[in-house]
Amino acid sequence: MTARVVLTSGFSRRYTGGEKEFEIEAKTLGGVIKEMDRRFPGLGHHLEEETTVAIDGEIHDVGYYQPVGPGAEVFFIPKLEGG
Amino acid sequence: MNDVAPFKWVGTRPIRPDGVPKVTGKAQYGADLTMPGMLQGAILRSPHAHARIKSIDTSKAEKLPGVKAVVTSKDFPDHKFEYIGPERVAFNYWHMTRNVMAREKVLYEGHAVAAVAAISKSIADEACSLIKVEYEVLKHAIDVDDAMKPDAPLLFEDMITRGVEPPPTKPSNISKRLEFKLGDIDAGFKQADVVIEKTFKTAAIHQAYIEPHACVVKFEQDGQGEIWSSSQGHFVVRAYTCGLLKLPVGDVRCYPAEIGGGFGGKTVVYLEPVAVALSRKCGLPVKLVMSREDCFKATGPTSGSSMRVKIGATKDGKIVAADGEFKFQAGAFPGSPVMNGCMCAFAPYDIPNARSVGYDVVCNRPKSAAYRAPGSPISAFAVESVLDMVAQKLNMDPLEFRLKNAARAGTQMVYGPKLSHGGYVETLEALMKHPAYKVKLGKNQGRGVASGYWFNGGGESSATIHVHDDGTVQVATGSPDIGGSRASMAMMVAETLGIDYHQVRSIIADTASVGYTHVTGGSRVTFATGIAALDATKKVIKELCKRAAMIWDVDPEGVVWEDGHAKPASTNVGDFKPLSLKEIAAKRAATGGPIGAEGNVNAGAVAPGFSSQFCDVEVDPETGKVTVLRFVAAQDVGKAIHPSYVEGQIQGGVVQGIGWALNEEYIYNKDGRLDNAGFLDYRVPVASDVPMIDAVLVEVPNPSHPYGVKGVGEVNICPPMAAMANAIDRAIGTRLTELPMSPPRVLAALDAGKKKAAE
Repeated sequence: MTARVVLTSGFSRRYTGGEKEFEIEAKTLGGVIKEMDRRFPGLGHHLEEETTVAIDGEIHDVGYYQPVGPGAEVFFIPKLEGG
Repeated sequence: MNDVAPFKWVGTRPIRPDGVPKVTGKAQYGADLTMPGMLQGAILRSPHAHARIKSIDTSKAEKLPGVKAVVTSKDFPDHKFEYIGPERVAFNYWHMTRNVMAREKVLYEGHAVAAVAAISKSIADEACSLIKVEYEVLKHAIDVDDAMKPDAPLLFEDMITRGVEPPPTKPSNISKRLEFKLGDIDAGFKQADVVIEKTFKTAAIHQAYIEPHACVVKFEQDGQGEIWSSSQGHFVVRAYTCGLLKLPVGDVRCYPAEIGGGFGGKTVVYLEPVAVALSRKCGLPVKLVMSREDCFKATGPTSGSSMRVKIGATKDGKIVAADGEFKFQAGAFPGSPVMNGCMCAFAPYDIPNARSVGYDVVCNRPKSAAYRAPGSPISAFAVESVLDMVAQKLNMDPLEFRLKNAARAGTQMVYGPKLSHGGYVETLEALMKHPAYKVKLGKNQGRGVASGYWFNGGGESSATIHVHDDGTVQVATGSPDIGGSRASMAMMVAETLGIDYHQVRSIIADTASVGYTHVTGGSRVTFATGIAALDATKKVIKELCKRAAMIWDVDPEGVVWEDGHAKPASTNVGDFKPLSLKEIAAKRAATGGPIGAEGNVNAGAVAPGFSSQFCDVEVDPETGKVTVLRFVAAQDVGKAIHPSYVEGQIQGGVVQGIGWALNEEYIYNKDGRLDNAGFLDYRVPVASDVPMIDAVLVEVPNPSHPYGVKGVGEVNICPPMAAMANAIDRAIGTRLTELPMSPPRVLAALDAGKKKAAE
């Protein structure tokens, strides 16, 4: 159940030393965040608080329960606001 | 997703549930509430665009008979300087408390400096005039390009631009730089046969909601309080007010008043924390109401901007590269919607090489606030104008050109992920098929096309459903109703329950009576709060089946819900006459007590919105006046729950866009003071300015919503400004690149064209 996790340039510059793409074994978004936090301690909090997530392009608020299918692209993008 | 079965209520047009109190003048808006012992408040505002506050003397005001409380920034706790939350929506209480009540400096004309509560408004106003403020007036910066200059007066002497590596060594008014990039821009432009590059400017414009901000606040000696106010989200009013004043959230209860428009401008707080400070100080209820002038001078308009866009295409009409630089006014504190502008700029198109660079720039204007698809209409004006120029250069029909380059599900977006849902192509095809697109135009007339993109929203929402013993049903949500959510909630609940829409009453509950619900904004409510309401409805249906099973003395799994009735799942269960909701509700007490459920969701799988529009205009070459002859707006709405409301959203967005295009602007004088803070001088469109807006509902259902809902409230304001500029260009052969395209500006462009032709 490997997912391709992608961060924006700005986010990777701030938190992962510029590394943008990761292969993560997880069944849910909670699992993705947990593994990213293991690799970059403290990153999980930033992902939860500062991003919206596009799973295979479909946009969600970050929630642990979101399923992440095999081969899914998980793209963390800046959180959005409307009027 | 049930896209085959005909719906009984979804897609119909019942009479709106809030209509009678509104047309009879009985609806309670923010300023309508009156309480025993209530005081009237007034706010003293800065006459200067930029000044240091040397001292404030409130002693004379405090001694005026009838005055019960005076507050200044000293009555508000200060905050640590830190950005909280996600980048775009990050808020910084250090900034927010200074916006609500100025501390060291005033940063715009109208900035609140002190406030008074008194037994009458006239006494409160008089007391404000007795407050002596000593200012050291500073140089100001109004225009975004001026504010970015190295020698510009600084609003914050220690502001270092974020998003630049290495960080600049000198402070500036540029709060943040951001960049989104896809492919190889230089290589892309090398492939292009046609390249067009232009600069653009747009004016700051106000949301121009009809109802000014207003609130009533009552705080008790036990530290608990209540707030009644007109807002787009009473849970957010509570959160910001408690955050600013460092109060426990549980001690404050917020009630939603009826709201006379918001369009994004009522997602923030201005008055509520001030009224709380006054009420806590004097122990009496306090009402604060803004004037129209206050709204213009002290509440958030959307950003004005300065932009550069470059687009390259091959001779067969394929866009190969796009580059945009977007500089947005944030107003007095950081936080313009420039990130949204960058992300949405090229989103309707499949462009292999693209870049959006944004700058968030502070200047001596009121802090910008969200306005309908915040950021997207601004960048769309520049991008869709350049697209039109490229199409003209290629001699291609502008709709054909857009269709050839249209984003579809799977298209890579410049902001990162691939587009998950289509819908854009269908809006273009709807316009192509529209009979008016073929109508021939006359002299000085032109037709302009443009498109727009908006993410739409999801997120946290709550709803409760209660079944009354006579079979009527109540749905309560935490979403203030701005665009018809009471009707759409009742319709979806009635459809799901299989009962008559008129049996369902829909209300908005206060913060103590329903779970957390995010603002009515981002085109999220029918989608997200709808999912919460349907979640609760499904739980109620399960409960109704359980009650029917009890009445029949059978296993609950043996009961199904169909067409508003509990029925045996099969003949094996028994031969029972179906029980209606009303019949089950009548047995409420005997079968276990009240029947109700709550739905609490963080709704995801949002589908974005696309709108494509064309308009026909006529330009009077003698006066420069632009008359809109026809406007057709096609929008992918997913599934229209109540088509009349959806059409109204589209018409409203387009009309606001026409105002943005032709007339609306903040006009500042040399002292940095606003010269047109009223509707006589700030020209919003009136009914006689616009034709009937032809709203074309394109329904490409969202598979992630039970009824296919997509947000519909915002994307309609993205295309009109460019559509109008493109139409004017085709009418008179003159490209306008600055908003508003008011008569003097059109005349000046015509004169410049004549002069150039003569040379």
